[in-house]
Amino acid sequence: MTARRLRSLALPLVGLLVFVAPTVLGGSGSVYSAAVLIAIFAVMAYGLDVIVSDLGEVSLAHTVFFAVGSYTAAWLSTKAGAGAWLTLAASIGMALLFAAVIGLVTLRLREFVFSLVTYAVAVVAMSVAANWAFIGGSDGLRGVPMLDLSIAGLPLTARNDRELWPYAFGLLAIALYLVDRFRHSRLGAAAIMTHLNPRLATMSGIDPARVRLQVFLFSAPISAAAGWLYAYQRAYVSADVLENYFLILMLTAVVLVGRRQLLGPLAATALVLLQEKFFSLGGYVDKIVLGSVLIVVLAFFPHGLMGLAQPVRQIVRRLFKSREPSQPAMTTVENPK
Amino acid sequence: MSDATSAAVLQVRNLRVAYAGNRAVDLQSLDVARGEVVGVVGANGAGKSTLVNGLAGWSRGEPRVSGEVRLGVERVDAWPTHERIRAGLLLVPEGRLVFGRMSVEENLSTAFAPQTAPGRRVYTRDEIYELFPRLAERCRHLGSQLSGGERQMLGIGRALMMGPRVLLLDEPSIGLAPKLVSQVLETMRTLARAGLAILLVEQNVRAALEVVDRLVLLERGRVVLEGPAAQVGNDPRIAQAYLGATAA
Amino acid sequence: MNLTQQVINGLVLGHAYALVAIGWTLLLGVARLVNFGHGQMYMLGAFVTWWAVARAGMPYALALPVAMAVGALFGLVMQRVMLKATFEQNLVSIMIMTLGFGYVLHGGAALVFGSTGQILETALSRNEITLGPLWLTWQDAAIIVAAIVVFASLKWVLDGTRVGRLVRMVAEDPRLAMLAGVNVRRVYYGVFAFEGAAVAFAAGMVAPRTPILTSMGFEEVIMTFVVVVLGGIGSVTGSYVAGVALGLFTALFGALVSPAYTTAAAFLVLITVLVMRPRGLSAGPGAGAH
Repeated sequence: MTARRLRSLALPLVGLLVFVAPTVLGGSGSVYSAAVLIAIFAVMAYGLDVIVSDLGEVSLAHTVFFAVGSYTAAWLSTKAGAGAWLTLAASIGMALLFAAVIGLVTLRLREFVFSLVTYAVAVVAMSVAANWAFIGGSDGLRGVPMLDLSIAGLPLTARNDRELWPYAFGLLAIALYLVDRFRHSRLGAAAIMTHLNPRLATMSGIDPARVRLQVFLFSAPISAAAGWLYAYQRAYVSADVLENYFLILMLTAVVLVGRRQLLGPLAATALVLLQEKFFSLGGYVDKIVLGSVLIVVLAFFPHGLMGLAQPVRQIVRRLFKSREPSQPAMTTVENPK
Repeated sequence: MSDATSAAVLQVRNLRVAYAGNRAVDLQSLDVARGEVVGVVGANGAGKSTLVNGLAGWSRGEPRVSGEVRLGVERVDAWPTHERIRAGLLLVPEGRLVFGRMSVEENLSTAFAPQTAPGRRVYTRDEIYELFPRLAERCRHLGSQLSGGERQMLGIGRALMMGPRVLLLDEPSIGLAPKLVSQVLETMRTLARAGLAILLVEQNVRAALEVVDRLVLLERGRVVLEGPAAQVGNDPRIAQAYLGATAA
Repeated sequence: MNLTQQVINGLVLGHAYALVAIGWTLLLGVARLVNFGHGQMYMLGAFVTWWAVARAGMPYALALPVAMAVGALFGLVMQRVMLKATFEQNLVSIMIMTLGFGYVLHGGAALVFGSTGQILETALSRNEITLGPLWLTWQDAAIIVAAIVVFASLKWVLDGTRVGRLVRMVAEDPRLAMLAGVNVRRVYYGVFAFEGAAVAFAAGMVAPRTPILTSMGFEEVIMTFVVVVLGGIGSVTGSYVAGVALGLFTALFGALVSPAYTTAAAFLVLITVLVMRPRGLSAGPGAGAH
């Protein structure tokens, strides 16, 4: 009970700290720009997080949902003069449509075949985006207007990254809330069960295919909403929103800190972007760094950075329990040494 | 078998196998000598398979294994599975015995051919066919088409072709017709007579008692009874629980 | 548009697809490893060949083995890092790690070779064979011959040699293979080294057809998926047939419909097949290396 109360007190406090962080850190344009991008990319990653961490599948099509959000916002605002609320609704609607199609097609596919197909979706989407004149082809869509979410006389606009920050922060807070709610929902429990013990799930009356589709439909709009805001932040959209960079960034965000850690993807995205913005070693070396981080974490720290804390915890525990008879040293004999 | 320890080709000391902190096997001492058949019996989940798999380094998952396993004079407990196999510590596991997409003939040729070493009898394919004529009849059939008994013969045959010093057999009688059970176990007796050391895991205690020299009873991973077959067979714990006798 | 010419183009393209896919076919069939870095390994092979020919002044015949050695080495490094996950069959980690390797390779290659396009020219690609109105380069002819030779040799090795038997044992049941004295770890290394060398060889053969860029590899990896899945996962003969069929399809699609969307069209074929037959056309995973 006290733990829960502590948590309900700590969360707004952490939120407040994060919200004022850019100001505290000097409040320069580049700090706000980094903060906005961290929020946007973290939201993008949360969409994938529920698929990888909860459902246990690797969807490589989430860059497509991100791109769908960006393209929908850019197309509607530049070609039809639509306002930001309308583009947001349309982005989410389009993402649901894409997720439904991809989800239905891949419903019976598992494991690597599922990943192959979702990866193929991403690659094909890139070639379509680069070639299709309707959505700007290789030039992309330029001249996305500033974000304007004004309601009934209340002016809510953002001309630059500093003014965009509250909206990015708000989007991040909503995404965190949704993911947290999801993990405490029946659907979240069903997803975990389908992931860890499909047979038991089926026997408990869960239809795995249905759960997969529902989780897919839940996750796609999250990534798409990030893409929506990204279009306004960058003021133009082109096929590079489908680049592998976003995929690798998302995956790193999901695995770096540890699976099913609510703030994990946010922390990981922040780490990666801070390195790229303020400690960049050049675009190509940054690629090598990001890719290597992803590999090293998976190969050597399967529980992420949180796993690193485990030995520390054990040492602490041992210090307090030093009276327990020490066990004989055991060697692990793995099958293939 | 008073000097079993000195002649033992398989020596196990303080073997512990633990899954996620739960001890599955805790064995202080076990020896098998040349020419000897030692039976391991016990209820389901007593740790019989865990024991033989642990000896071969073939455990499922990633248990913590500690203790000493010696094959002859060499300590093998840190060796990977395939090296223990090559050294002649052979496991014929339960169930997983044949390559289903290979013919019987090809299955036999999957056996690792050891360099001839003193004390190791390497059976040829023809000798296997002689031992199990049924396999010769079905040599062109695919592994997946074989019956349970034929798979068992094929698994044992492959092991014999690798020149065993110690044969670990995990429930060779499972799923076999009674007639075949006695045939397979009789074969074990013959092989032991030819100088092999055999550790035989069996659920069928009555059948096992026919062929083993010594019997070990496992309960929850620990040895609760050990001794010569004739003596152990009369023990009320064995008689009541495993032989269905109401009175000794 | 001359149909016969398109069929020739399709045959060349098809053998190129099959050749590019061969390493992955074996990798998937034997170790159940999915390599999303396959396309970038293709890119690496193409650039090492280009570097050896254009910068180091090596003859093409020497440049190919150099590229294969680099590819095999990279494959060994990948397998070393992923060994634990391979034994655990932790596909989620393996897939993400191979994506990471591809990304590192992309960054590394751009760093070393620059991001401008290059042309890999060989003595074979400069000369054409003309038969009346039909033509193809000697490089094209060499691709067809190389693909047939590689597929036939692989089939022979798998079915008729001791090494092939070891590979098939691990493909069917790695744990049982251990009990037959097989060093499974070494087989996994060998298969990944083959993947690296084979895709580098394929790149050295196929890359002279088009300009090469360090950002390439995506089209190759999609075509490889299609070939491997259509051919029946792990099936060598199936991959060859699927590769040639896919080549004919894309050549005709490119000529008759639109050259810009050939990858998308191939992908649609893949989707159609998967929706109708979720496990591909052959026996499906575990069908081994046959």
